[in-house]
Amino acid sequence: MVHPKAMKSDITYKDINEDILNVITKTGSGYYIVLACTSVLTVLLYFLPWAYQIHVGQGVTGLNVPDLWGVYLVNFVFWVGIAHAGTLISAMLYITNTPWRRAIARSAETLTFFGLILASMYVFIHMGRPWKFYWTIPYPNQRMIWLNFQSPLMFDVFAISTYFVSSSVFLYFGMIPDLASLRHRVTGWRRRLYTFLSLGWRGTDRQWYVQGRACMYFASFIIPLVVSVHSIVAWDFALSIVPGYHKTIFAPYFVTGALFSGFAGVTLMMSVVRWFFPVIRKYITELHYDRIGIFLLVLSLVWSYLTVMEVITGLYTNTSQEMESLKYKLLTSPYSYLFALMIFSNSIVPLLFIFRKIRKTVNIMVVMSVFILIGMWLERYLIIPNALSRKFLPYMWHDYSPSWVEISITAGTFFFLISMFMVFLKVFPIISLFEVKEDSIPMKGGGGH
Amino acid sequence: MPGIIDRLSKRLKAYRTPGYYKKYDYHWTMVVDLDKCNGCAACVVACHAENNLPTVGKDECGKSRAFNWIRIERYVEGEYPDVKVKFIPIMCQHCDKARCELGCPVYATYHNQDGLNVQVYNRCVGTYTCATYCPYDVRRFNWFTYKWDEPLDQQLNPDVSVREMGVMEKCTFCIQRIRVAKDKAKDEEREIKDGDVQPACVQSCPTGAMVFGDLNDPNSSVSKLAKSRRTYRLLEKYNTEPSVIYLKRVMDGSSKGHEERHHV
Amino acid sequence: MLNRRDFLKLIGLGGVSTGAGFVLKEAMEPPVAKLIPYLVPPEDTVPGVANWYAGLCTQCSAGCGVITKTMEGRAKKIEGNPLHPINRGKLCARGQAGLQVLYNPDRVKGPLKRVGKRGEGEFREVSWEEGLSILSGNLKDLTNRNEAGKLYLLTSALRGHLTSLLVSFMDSFGSSNYFQYELFNNSNLIYANSVTIGSGAIPDYDIANTRLLLSFGADFMGTWLSPVRYARSYGDMRQGRPGVRGRFVQIEPRLSMTGASADEWVPVRPGTEGILALSIAYLIVEERHYRGADAKRWMDMLKRYNPDEVAGEIDISVRKIGELAEEFVEGGPSLAIGGDNLASYDNGIGNLVAVNVLNYLAGSIGHKGGVLLNGKDKTFKRKSVPYAQLTKLGDSALEGDIETLILYNTNPLFTAPSGMKLGASLENIPLIVSLSSFMDETTGMADLILPAHTSLEDWGDDFADHGAGYSVATVMQPAVSPVFDTKGVGDVFLALAASLGPGFKKDFPWRSFGDFLKDAWKKIYRRNRGSGIKERSFEDFWSRLLAAGGWWTPSPKISGAVNLSVGKASSHIPSAAAGFDGDSDKFPFFLTVYSHSAFLDGRGANLPWLQEMPDPMTSVVWGTWVEMNPKTARHLSLKEGDMIRVESPYGEIHAPLYLYPGIRPDTVAVPIGQGHTSYGRYAKERGDNPLAILPPRVDTRTGALALNSTRVRVFKSTRSGKLVKMEGSARELGRGIVQTVSNKEFKKMGKEA
Repeated sequence: MVHPKAMKSDITYKDINEDILNVITKTGSGYYIVLACTSVLTVLLYFLPWAYQIHVGQGVTGLNVPDLWGVYLVNFVFWVGIAHAGTLISAMLYITNTPWRRAIARSAETLTFFGLILASMYVFIHMGRPWKFYWTIPYPNQRMIWLNFQSPLMFDVFAISTYFVSSSVFLYFGMIPDLASLRHRVTGWRRRLYTFLSLGWRGTDRQWYVQGRACMYFASFIIPLVVSVHSIVAWDFALSIVPGYHKTIFAPYFVTGALFSGFAGVTLMMSVVRWFFPVIRKYITELHYDRIGIFLLVLSLVWSYLTVMEVITGLYTNTSQEMESLKYKLLTSPYSYLFALMIFSNSIVPLLFIFRKIRKTVNIMVVMSVFILIGMWLERYLIIPNALSRKFLPYMWHDYSPSWVEISITAGTFFFLISMFMVFLKVFPIISLFEVKEDSIPMKGGGGH
Repeated sequence: MPGIIDRLSKRLKAYRTPGYYKKYDYHWTMVVDLDKCNGCAACVVACHAENNLPTVGKDECGKSRAFNWIRIERYVEGEYPDVKVKFIPIMCQHCDKARCELGCPVYATYHNQDGLNVQVYNRCVGTYTCATYCPYDVRRFNWFTYKWDEPLDQQLNPDVSVREMGVMEKCTFCIQRIRVAKDKAKDEEREIKDGDVQPACVQSCPTGAMVFGDLNDPNSSVSKLAKSRRTYRLLEKYNTEPSVIYLKRVMDGSSKGHEERHHV
Repeated sequence: MLNRRDFLKLIGLGGVSTGAGFVLKEAMEPPVAKLIPYLVPPEDTVPGVANWYAGLCTQCSAGCGVITKTMEGRAKKIEGNPLHPINRGKLCARGQAGLQVLYNPDRVKGPLKRVGKRGEGEFREVSWEEGLSILSGNLKDLTNRNEAGKLYLLTSALRGHLTSLLVSFMDSFGSSNYFQYELFNNSNLIYANSVTIGSGAIPDYDIANTRLLLSFGADFMGTWLSPVRYARSYGDMRQGRPGVRGRFVQIEPRLSMTGASADEWVPVRPGTEGILALSIAYLIVEERHYRGADAKRWMDMLKRYNPDEVAGEIDISVRKIGELAEEFVEGGPSLAIGGDNLASYDNGIGNLVAVNVLNYLAGSIGHKGGVLLNGKDKTFKRKSVPYAQLTKLGDSALEGDIETLILYNTNPLFTAPSGMKLGASLENIPLIVSLSSFMDETTGMADLILPAHTSLEDWGDDFADHGAGYSVATVMQPAVSPVFDTKGVGDVFLALAASLGPGFKKDFPWRSFGDFLKDAWKKIYRRNRGSGIKERSFEDFWSRLLAAGGWWTPSPKISGAVNLSVGKASSHIPSAAAGFDGDSDKFPFFLTVYSHSAFLDGRGANLPWLQEMPDPMTSVVWGTWVEMNPKTARHLSLKEGDMIRVESPYGEIHAPLYLYPGIRPDTVAVPIGQGHTSYGRYAKERGDNPLAILPPRVDTRTGALALNSTRVRVFKSTRSGKLVKMEGSARELGRGIVQTVSNKEFKKMGKEA
C-alpha cells in the first residue's frame, strides 16, 4: 500500500535507495580517518585498561569495602537505560502507527543493540573473575550446581539477555525488506551478506504480511519487556536493604530515567547521523526533534517528580540511616555538588522544551540532550556508589572515587560505541527504506500534518 | 488435593519461620559480652594468623581494603570531659536470613547444614552483590593476588585455603576448626561437646568476652548466655536473624543506644 | 569424511604434540614442585596433622605461656597455653604476632661484619667460625691486656637461666659490667612497694574480686605488667560473679585503651595523680574510715592534701574527690593501682607510694579483692633494671672504659631519649657486637652481628613476676628448626667460652645451651617443688615439663598484716605535682607519651600484623599520630589529618593529627613504638619517634626515666604525611549498635532472674 501523498513528494523511491546506498558504499577518506581514530582510542582507553585490570585485579579501581559497586555499575545501568528508548520508541510508535517514527526507528533500534552490548560488557568488566562469567548462565552440569533464582542479579541475566535477543530480532526483522531491496544494488561481500540475510525475500504479499505480523508481535512483546527489564535493574538495588537503595519507588524511577536518557541518546544519535551524512537530513527532520522534545519534556517532569518523591520517602522514614544517606548525597559528600548539576541538567534545562522554537533547533536540542545524558549518568552515580558510602555501621563509612582505569574505560565506551556504529553504517542501512517509502515522506518543516 | 496444598504450605511456612535450622545437628552461635570486651584487638590478630589473611599495607588500608574478618568498632559518645567509649567486635553474623545469600547469583554463598553462612571461594565470580547487600560490612574482597614476603609465607595455615584474586571472603566461624572437632567426635563416636570448638578469636580473647558453641544444645554455655536479659542482636530490626548474640554493655549515662533516635 | 590416512596422520600429530607438550612442561616446571616435601617424613611429623609445642612468649615481660602449632615442621600459630596460670590459654595481639618475628623477612640471616663506616649499614656476610673468632680474638686480647673489665654486656630484662649463664660468663671473664635495660621496667613500682609494703616483689592485684577499681594511669589491659592476666581479671570483675559487677574508675589525663572500658574517666592534670590519691586518702582518714591507732598522725600528714586546697591543682571538683573517697570505702573490697603513666613522672615513686597509702588506709592490702602480697621468692634472683644502668653505660663509654660491648635483645638507641646522646657514647666503643635478630637502630652501629635465634627456635626459661598467685617457671623449647643461619644466645656464649682456652672451658662444660638448661633444671627437680609434676626420674620430669610448658606452684603469700608507718610514707609521697621541662608560656601543652598496645616500646613495629592492627582507640594503622582534643584543635584551627609539628625544648617531631575527645585540652599525646629508622621494611617510614624529644629527666630516687616530663608546643607542619585510619565515623548516631543497660537496670535484671 502506497500512500497517495508519496507520489507527490519531491523524494522518489530512487532517491531514497540511492541516498541510503551512498551512505553504505561511498566511503570517503574522512570516514576511515575517523574510524581509525576511534578504534585506536577504543583500544587505548577501553580494552587495554580492561586487560590491565584483569591482569592485576579489581584493585586498580577505586572500589573499597563499603563501596563495592562503582562507576562500572553506573555505566551498566546508564547503558541499559540508553538501550531502552531505542526499541521502545520504535516498538511503541510502531504499534500506534505514528508516522514520524519511521525515519528514526532504525537508528533508535541500533542504539538499543549497541547500548545492550556495552551494558553487558560492563557486567564483565565489573566482575571479579570475568573468566568465570558462564557460571551465571544456567547450563546442565555434573555437579548439579544451579543458579540462585532469588538473586536479582540472576533476574538481570535473564531480563537483559531476553531483551537483547528480542530487540536484535526486532531490528533484524525490520531490516529484511531493505536488505532484499539493496542486495541487487551492491556488490561483493555485501551482496552475499544481504542475499543470505534477506532470507529469499521477494516482496510477496504473504511475506509482507508475515513480516508485518512478526514486527507487530515483537513490538507488543518488547514494550512490557522494556518496563520489566529496567524494573529488574532497579531491583538489583531495591531488593537490598541498604539505605538509599531500599526503595519501592525505584522501579518506576529507573524506568522513567531509562526512557529519559534513552530519548536523549536517540536525539544525539540522530544528530550525529545527520551531521555525518547530510543526505539523511531529508529523512530526519525538525519534526522528529519537535516530537522527541515533547517526550523529553514529559519524561523530565515525571522524573523530577519521582526524584522529589525519592528524597521525600527517605525523609519520611526519619531514621538515622536514611537521613545520613540523604545528607551525604545532598550535602556532605565530596560529590554533593553533582546533585545540583543533576537537577539542573534533568529538571531545569528540559523546561526549555516548552518552546517549540527550541524543540526545532537541532543544535540546541543536541546540547540539551548532552545535558540530560550527563544528568542521568550523575543520577546513577549519586545512587549507586553514594548510598554504599553511608551504610549501617558508621565505623565502616568510606568515600569512593573512581580511579583512572574506571574513568578511562568509561570514556573509552563512547569511542567503542562510535566505532561500532560507524561499522554498522557501512554494513546495514541506517534508515528503514521500506518504511520511509511507504510513509508520507516529506516531513520537512511540519509538513504531513 | 487440599491435603497436598496444606502440606506444601506448611513446609513453606516452616522454611520461612525463624529457627528452621534447629532441625539440623548444630546451630553454631557466638555470644559476645560487650561488658567484658575491652577492645584490645587480640581477636583481630588471631584471625589474621588463623585464616591466612593478607596484610595490605598503608595505601590499601587508606582505601579501606584491609582484611579484617573481625574488627573492633569503637564508638565515642559525648564530649570532653564526659566521654564514653564503647567497643564492639563485629564479624560475619552468620544470619539465618542472610541478605548476601539472597544476592549471590551463583550460590557462592549459602547456608550450610550447621546454620553457618558459608562462602565457596571456588564458585565466586565476584559480582560484589553479597558485600553490597550485607548490612554489617563484614565481607572482604581479594582486590589483587596478595603475596607474603618470604619467609612469612611459611606461616600460612594449611587448613585454610589462600584465596584467589577476584573472590569474596569473610569470617567462617573458623569452619576448619569445626571440621576437625567433628572428625574427632566422629572417631570417638559422639556428638561435639560444648567447648570442643573455639574459633581463633574466641580462643584468644583475654577477657573471655566471646563464647562459642551450639545453640541447639540447651546445656551449652552459649545457650545459657543466650537466656541473659542483656541479649540483643546487631541491627535486629532488619530481620536478618544473626547467629551472633551480643550482651549489652552495662553503662550509665549512655545516650540510650538501643532506641532508634530520630533526628533531622 | 575422514579416511584412514588422515586419521593416522592426526593420531601421529596428536601423539607428537602430546609428547612435545610433556617435554615442554617438564622443562618449564620449577625444580621443586612437590606437594609434600618429604617422601619419608620425620618421626613426629604426619603431614596435615598439627604438633603443638609449649613455650614462652617473649613479646613483653609478662611471661605468658604459649603453645605453638606446627605442621610439617613449620610454625603456624601461637596460642596461649591453657595450663599456664598467667594467661590460661589466652594471648594478646603482640603475643599472637610473635610468629612474624620468627618468619620475618627482615631478620639478620647470618653473621655479618661491618665493612663501611660505622652506622652506614654496610656489612659483609661471614661464617659463624669467622664471626666467633673475631669476637673471641678480641676477648683474648682484653684478657691479655688485663682489661677484662672493659667488656660490657647489655641485654633486655632477662629473667631465666640465660641470665645465670651470662652472669657466670661475665664473672669468669672478669667483668662485672653486665647491664640490663628495658624502657618499661617497673623499677619504680618495685621501689615503691619495697619502701611501703615491704616486698619488692610485684604483688597480685586482685582485680577479679574487687568491687571498685581505682586505676591511676594503669593501662593494665594494654601494656602494664601482665595485660592478658589482668584482662581476664577484668572480665571476671565485670561479669564473673553472679549479681556483682565491679565498678571501675580510671584516672589519667589521656584516656587509654584500658580507660575506655571504665565506668568513669577522671581527667586530672598531668602530674597530679599522686596528689589526688592522697587527697582521697585524706578524706578516708577524715571521715574516720581508717581506724588505726595512728589515725591522728596520718591526719596531720595528709592535711595538706585537703581537697579544698588541692582540687584546683588537680583540676577536678572537690565534690568529685569526695565521691571517689566515698566510693572507695563503701561496699568494698576496693583496690587502687598505679600504672606506667603514673610512674613516668619525675615524682613517679611518690605517686606510686601515694597509691599504696590509699590502699593501706582503705584496708585494701592483703585482702581478697585488694592487693595480695607475694613473698619474695629467693630462688631466682633478678637484676634490677633501672634506666640508671644505661646512663652509667653511656658514661663509661664516653670515658673510654668500654673496649667491647655485646648487645642482646635491646635497642637503647631507639628506646632511650635522644637527649641522653647515647649514639655519641657508642661511637667511643672500639668493638660493638650485637646478637640481635634484627637490624635495629643499635645493631646498625655494631661492628659484628651474630644473629640469635628467636624464641620459637631456642631453648630458654622464664620466672615471671609471680603476681599470678603462683610461683611460675616457664620453659621454652625449639618449636621449629632455625629458619636462618642463626645460633642461640646461650650457645654463642658457650662457644665463646670454649674458644677462650681450656681453663675457661672447664667452667662451661656444656655442649649446648639446651644441656645447660637441663642441668640447671635438675636443681629445681631435686627441690621437688613442682605443683603437678612429680616424677621418679629427671628424664620423665623433663619431658612432662616440656609438654606442660613449665611448672607452677602457689607462692607463699604474706598474710594481711602490713604496717605502713606515717614516717615511711611521708618521706616518699609527693609534695607537689610533677615537674616539666619547658616554660608553660612558650610550651603550652603537656606531652603524654604512652606505650602502644601493639608495639610496646617499639619492638612490635616490624610485624605487619601489628602494623595493620587498627589501634584500639584511634583505629590508625601503619603510622604514628598526635592526639589532641577537638576543642584545642578548633582553637588552633587545625583539622584531623593535618601534619603537626610537636616541639619540645629538646627537639621536634612531625606526625598527623588525630582528634581525640578522650584527652585533656591542655595535653597532647603521642604513642611510642613508631618512628624506626632501621628495623626492617615494615617499621620503616612510619613517622617520628616521640622519645626523641624527651628530656633525659629521671626520677631522683630510682634513676628511672621520667617519660612524661616535658611540655610542648604544636604547629602546623610543612611536611607531608597521611593519617590512615580504619574508622569512618566515631559516632554511633543513635543506631543502637553498641546497646547498653544502666547499672540500675542491670541490678534489676539480676533480681528478677
